Parts: sequence; structure tokens; C-alpha cells
Amino acid sequence: MAKPLIIIIEDDPTLNEIFTITLTSDFETETYTEGETALARLAEVIPALVVLDLHLPGTPGREILSKIRADDRLANTRVILATADERQANLLYDRADMVLLKPISPGQLKDLAKRLCTDF
Amino acid sequence: MSLQTIYVMPLVFSAMISAALAWYTWRHRQTAGAKSFSFLLLVLFEWGTAYILQLISTDLEIKTFWNKVTYLGVVMTPGMWLIFALEYTGRKNWVTRSRIFLLFVMPLITTIVIWTNEAHHLFWTTAEIYRVSDLVLQKSSNGLWFWVHAAYSYVLILAGTVLIVRALLRWPAQYRRQMAWILFAVAAPWLANAITVFDLLPVLIDLTPFAFTVTGVGMAVALFRHRLLDLEPIARDLVIEGMKDGMIVLDASNRIVDLNQAAQNILDLSGEQKPVGKQLADVLARWPQLVERYRDVPEAQDEITLGEGEAQRWYELTLSPLHGQQKQRVGRLVIMRDITDRKLSEEKVRQLSRAVESSPTSIVITNTDGNIQYVNPKFTQVTGYSFEEVLGKNPNMLKTDQTPAETHRQMWETISSGCEWRGEFCNRKKNGELYWELASISPIEDAAGKITHYVAVKEDITERKRTERLLQESEIRFRQIVENASDFIYRTDVEGYFTYANPSALHIMGFSDEKEVLGKHYLDMTTPEARHRMKRTYQRQYLSKTPNTYDEFPAATADGREIWFGQNVQLLMDGDKVMGFQVLARDITAIKQAQEALRISYDQAMEASRAKSQLLAKVSHELRTPLGGILGYAELLQNGTFGPLHETQMKAADEILQSSHYLNMMVNELLDEAQIQANTATLQENCFSPAVLLQQATSGMEIMAERKGLEFTSSIDPKLPKELYGDDHRLRQILINLIGNAIKFTKKGSVHVSLQSPDAGHWIMQVTDTGIGVPNEAHSSIFEPFKQADNAITRENRGIGLGLSICKQLVELMGGRIVLESQVGVGSTFTILLPIMKKPA
Repeated sequence: MAKPLIIIIEDDPTLNEIFTITLTSDFETETYTEGETALARLAEVIPALVVLDLHLPGTPGREILSKIRADDRLANTRVILATADERQANLLYDRADMVLLKPISPGQLKDLAKRLCTDF
Repeated sequence: MSLQTIYVMPLVFSAMISAALAWYTWRHRQTAGAKSFSFLLLVLFEWGTAYILQLISTDLEIKTFWNKVTYLGVVMTPGMWLIFALEYTGRKNWVTRSRIFLLFVMPLITTIVIWTNEAHHLFWTTAEIYRVSDLVLQKSSNGLWFWVHAAYSYVLILAGTVLIVRALLRWPAQYRRQMAWILFAVAAPWLANAITVFDLLPVLIDLTPFAFTVTGVGMAVALFRHRLLDLEPIARDLVIEGMKDGMIVLDASNRIVDLNQAAQNILDLSGEQKPVGKQLADVLARWPQLVERYRDVPEAQDEITLGEGEAQRWYELTLSPLHGQQKQRVGRLVIMRDITDRKLSEEKVRQLSRAVESSPTSIVITNTDGNIQYVNPKFTQVTGYSFEEVLGKNPNMLKTDQTPAETHRQMWETISSGCEWRGEFCNRKKNGELYWELASISPIEDAAGKITHYVAVKEDITERKRTERLLQESEIRFRQIVENASDFIYRTDVEGYFTYANPSALHIMGFSDEKEVLGKHYLDMTTPEARHRMKRTYQRQYLSKTPNTYDEFPAATADGREIWFGQNVQLLMDGDKVMGFQVLARDITAIKQAQEALRISYDQAMEASRAKSQLLAKVSHELRTPLGGILGYAELLQNGTFGPLHETQMKAADEILQSSHYLNMMVNELLDEAQIQANTATLQENCFSPAVLLQQATSGMEIMAERKGLEFTSSIDPKLPKELYGDDHRLRQILINLIGNAIKFTKKGSVHVSLQSPDAGHWIMQVTDTGIGVPNEAHSSIFEPFKQADNAITRENRGIGLGLSICKQLVELMGGRIVLESQVGVGSTFTILLPIMKKPA
């Protein structure tokens, strides 16, 4: 069976690297450094999970989250928010399936992803 | 002496008497019946004279002639007699022209018959002469008409006689004699005539002449002795009948001898005949008690009432005895004077007196010198002076100098010129107390318009005056406050035009006098731009009847400055209707400027704070991102993602990881502290479930505790509300921090976490451990930043000790408290007491 798809939207390349390495064994991963291209891609595919950094250039992460949540196609797609901004995290707590405060432990991320995507 | 002389002399004599009497009576013809009596006498005179002439004539023809002439008188006499009787007995109204005429129809016919006797001999059938000595007498036999005439005549005479006799019986004693004489006098000739006619007595001659003498004598007697036709009765009649007072004369047996018209009216007998001769008791049958009371009382003077209700009248009754010539009591005189009007006046006066006596105002009456003649009881009550004490004195004795002298002077001037004066006095009571009264003084004039007295009606207004004075003082007090206030105080009518403005308000608007502001509109106060808003505000207040509003407006002052004023506007109500507005306003320019400055600094602060937040966020991001990199790779390295590591490499990776974790923690705590210190830490406020909070905090920590072999329990008080309001994220952080510490500092035993509900307004998060405890000296200092209790474990677990200080600050930010109970070697209990926040509506 094909591995579920995780779309990672994170502007820092190092973290992108780390996320990909962490998740690649269990998932298909695609990384994007800014929101618009990610959204374009999301129009084509339905990932199991989106890892979204709130601190993005261009369209802010918050807006990306809204757009994702507005899309009925992505109703089953889980979203993990990754952010260093505690306050924003608090605000968006209920819009995402999980909020992780940076720095994120790769092990934690892997566990979470697996758990969230089990029923996909 | 010749027989003739014997006969003739008395006849002449009585004829003369008749004539004289006739003339005399005619002189007094005003008396009732006098005229007819005069005629009667005249007729008798005619008859007598003719008879004399008849007697002395010797020739039958001449004798017959004179006989006929006598009959002129003879036929008239009965009629005259009747008329006289009618008039004299008060029936003058019977005697009308037509009736007189009727009465004399018969005599007229008889006269005609007599003078035409030769033709038919209806009167006398035969006639012859015969002599007795020297007397030549005539003898005739009477015819049919003679007897007709005789019958007629006797009927009339009878009628007259009857009238007079009846009257006799009713008339007072003094008149009776008179009547009797008249009766006798007049009857005599007829008696004689009857004797002659019917040959009753063996007398040769006609007795009639002698009867005439008798008549004459009788007349004379009646006239001169009993004063017949005297004017006095007339006068007395007039007086008595014309009297307004009722007069009744009673005889000794209480029979009415006389009573006048007035008495008849009073006793309600005017319809009937005069009840002369009747018993008083019968006439006064309607008032038996009166009759009883005065039955035998000779002398009395009383007041009685007759009649009931509307018709009741009062009479003054005077009884006096009447004495005859010999001083014996012959009867009583009753006089009744109608005093109803007087009585009514008296009653009215009594009522008025009572009114004055019981008046709630003091009444004082003085004479023209001003001396007191009368004071009513109220006066005594008010002043304390009795009537006797002030009688004759001047009311000035009451006056004090509180009343201006001008008042007294003006009062005297006014009232002595006949006008009414009203004014106030301050007077002194007998006991020295002062009182005020409102007096109304007017002059009393007699019928001629001359002032005889002054009457003063005075009302005690002491209380009113006192109230007035208090009100005045109060008004002055409040006026001073308003006038001296630095705030603007003004009033407008319902349209918004000024009715009052205090000096401060006047000044700010540039007016110097209150009068200048009247007529100006409140909207003039503000700048043209703000007028619309101002108008709207107050229209709304007026329509919604809001009693009080506060609003702020700009204004242009008189000297061109722009100020702001804040005004409290109150509605002035009369019942349910808005009568106007009352405003208290203040110059708030300074305040507004301060507010503006504050807003600027606030904005600046907010801006600064926002900048700071942004900075912190940026810093936060800048720090955490590389950290993420380090930690991430370190972890991946450690778990063999990049291939297996030998021991040294693993150790290195561990070190990196450990330090990175530590660094991460430091960054977290530093950033938290920075946020709090910058006061930009904002507490969230959400609804959260304490149960969920507890579960979230403990789920992660449970494993850690178990790994150390510690017993880990948690509990939640069922009394705790199912939902709380606050910053659940922070609360979780705090709880995790405490649990973390508990686990860290407990080598063996247990850690217990509980949420409690101590009272209705608070809740508790508590962490209890059986760890090493905190020494007493360190109880407070451990909550300070960068301080840790100095011991081995902390040295092991290097931390910069920010945790507890941050916890304390956060808890305090939430309005709560954190308390430590600890004993070294036994354990510690950290208790956080927090107020239960109400979710804002």
C-alpha cells in the first residue's frame, strides 16, 4: 500500500530536512517553504497530514490554515501546527489537530504523525 | 191755660230740639251714622212742625193738608231709622244709592197715594173734625193703603230696632247706654203713634207729639251726657283700628269687649265678624296654654309666640288691668306687639356674636381713640390677656419694635380715612413671647357714615413667618453655594432658553449680568460643529425622560479660547411633565488634555509593547528555530537515523542533546520571564474544564513519576464547577511545573495532584510530594527568580530556577496566591489558590 502523504510547510530549510528525515520512513513527504505553492499542491492532492509552520513568508500560516480548513476535500486531512509563537498557538488550538511548540522533538513528531494517520 | 197751649208748647219745644240736634249732628257727620241720624232728626222735626201746624189749624181742609205734610216725615222716618241703624252698627256698605232708592220707593208711592187720596180714598176713607174744648182735632178712618204703609213702616222699624238691639248686646258698656237712649227716643213716637192708630189708649189726642218731646229729650241726653257723636270716639276709633299693635279689651269675666283690626289679624280672625262678646278662651281656642297661663293674671309683660314654622311670629304681650270710675277692676287690656323682626334681628346678632366668639382669628374692636372695647376669646388665647385686662387699653400695648414704626403710622392713616388696612405686626404676648400676625383692620361706620369703631381681624402667622425666614436663610445659603461655585450652573426652560446662569457660567460665556443671558439658547454655548450632537443628546433625554445625563462638548469662550466642558444635565419635572433643564458643567479642558496625553502615551505604550511583542516573537522564533535544528539533528543522530554510532559518538550525541534540551528550557523560561517583565504577557480567558486540565497536565508527568518508581495520584473535588474560566494554557504550564518539581525532588514515595473547591469563590490546585522538602529559610526565596534552594538535587538538576518565580508571577497575575508548606525530609505541598472568574456576559 502506498504510504500516506504528509505535506510539510516550513520556511526553515534545516527543520524541513529534519522533518523529512524523521517522517520519510513511514510516509511520503513533500516540503514547501511557503504557503501559496503548498496550497496549489493541496488543490491536487489530499494528504493525510499537513505539518504547518505558522511563521511563513508571504501568506501567514494562519491564513493557510483557514484555507485548508475551508476546503471540504481536505476534511479528513490532519493538521499539525508547528510554531515558536506561543500566543498564536493558543489562539489556533482548536483549529488544528495538534499544536507543537518549537523546538520539536523528531521522535515526538513521528509518534504523533503515526497516531494521527492511523485511520486515514 | 188752653189745651192747645198744653199740647203745642211741648211740640214746639221738641221740634226745636230736633232741629238743633239735626244741625249739631250734621256738624259731626264724620261719625258713622251721624249723617243718617241727622236726616232722621230733620224728618222728625218736619213731622213735629207739620203736626203743630196741623193742630193749630181749625179748618178741615187745612188740617188735612197739614196732616198730609206730616206724613212726608212719617213715611221717611222708618227708612231713615233703618239707614241710621245700619250705619251706626257698622254696615255702612249696605247703604248704597240703589238700595236707598229702593227703600224709599214705598214711601214715595205712599206719599203719592196720600196726596191723591181725594181721588181714591185709599189712604184715608173718611175724615172729620171734632172739638175738645179749644182744641180742634181731626179724626180719620184709615184706608187700605194706610195699612200697607203701616205694615211696611213697622217692618223697617223692626229691622232697624233689631239691628240696634243686637249691636247693643255686643257693644261695650259705654256705648250701650247711648244706644238704649236712642232706641227709646225713637221708639217713643211710634209707640205713641201705634197707641193713637190702634186706639189703644183712651186718649183724645195724638200722643205722638209728647213722644217727640221725649225723643228730643232723649236725644239730648244721649248726646250730651253720653257724648253721642263726640269726636273722641272717632279719634279713638281711628287710633285703635289703625294701631299696628293688637288690642283686646276684656271684661271681668274674660269676655272680649273690644278688639281692633290688628288683634283680629294677629289671631287670624280677620275673615269673621268681630268676636265682641265672645269668651276669650273660645277665640283663643287654638292656644289653650296661653289662655291658661294668663287667665287670672292682672298684669304681665311677656314674649309669646303664635303660629308654627314659617308662620311663626313673636309678640310682646302686655296685660294691664282696667279700672272703672270707682276704681274697681272692670276688666283687662291686652296689647300684642309684633316683635318678630326684632327677634329675628336679635337672633341674627346672636349668631354673629357666636361667630365672632368662636372665630379662629383674633378679633379686636376699638373705639375711634383706639381703645379696646371688645376682644374675642381667641385673642385671649393667643395673647394671654383677658378681656378685663385689655378693656379700655390701646392695642399698642402689644407692639414691639420688630414691627416698623412706619407700619403703625400708615395703618392709622388708612383706617381713619375710612379705608381697610392689611398688614403684618410683630406683637408681644403677656408672657413676653413674640408672635407675628396678619391683621385686617377696618372702620365701622354708623348709619350717617361717621366712623364709630374699628374692628381688627388678626391671624396668627408666627409659624408661617418662621417657615418663611428659614426658607429665606436656606435660600441664601444655597444661593451662595451656587453663586460662588466655580462650576457653571445654569437652568433653561423646556425650549432651551436660559432662565438662570450663575456668575461662573456668565463669565465663561462673556456676560456680565444675569439679564444678558436670558433669552439666549443653550446651543449657543457650543461650537457650531457640536450643536447637532448636543441637540440630539438633549432631545433624547427629554423624550426618554432620563433624569440625569452626562456628556462632553466643545465650546468657544468669550475670549476665543476653545474649551471642553462636561455637563450633568438634570430634568426639572412638575409631576410627569418636563418643565426645564438644570445643568452643572465644568471646564474639563485640562482633563481632556490630560486624557489626550494619556491616550497618546497609552498608544505609544501599546505601540512599544506591540513592538516589544513583535520583537519577542521574532526573538522567540530566531532562538527556537536554530534550537529546533540542533535538537532535531541531535535526536536523529542519537536514534541511529544516520547510522549506528559507537559509544563515544553516542555519548557525544547525548551531551549535545542534553545541553540542547537545557538550552531550550532556558530559552523558554527566559522568553516567558521577558514577556512577563515587559507586561505583555496577556492572560487568555477561555472556558475550560478543570478535569481536562488535570488530565492534560498529569498525562505526561505520570510516566515520569512511574519511571522514578513513585506513586502518582490525582483527584478532583466533586464540588468544583464543571467549567471554569481563565487562562487554561498557563494553568497547565504552572501545574506541570509544580508536578515536575515534585517528581524531581522526590526520591521515593508519592506525588499527589488535586484540584479542590474550598469555597464558592475560589479553587485550588495542589501538588503534594514526599520528597526532600524545603528548609524554612528558603520558603520565600525559592519563589524569587534565579534562586533555588541550595541542595544536592538542584545542583544535579541544573536549572536557572525560573520556574517557580514565573509560576508565582502568573498566579498573582490571575489574582491568586501560591503557598508552600514543607518539612525537610517529609515532603512539600504547594497550594495555588485562585479566584473563580466569572465569564464576562
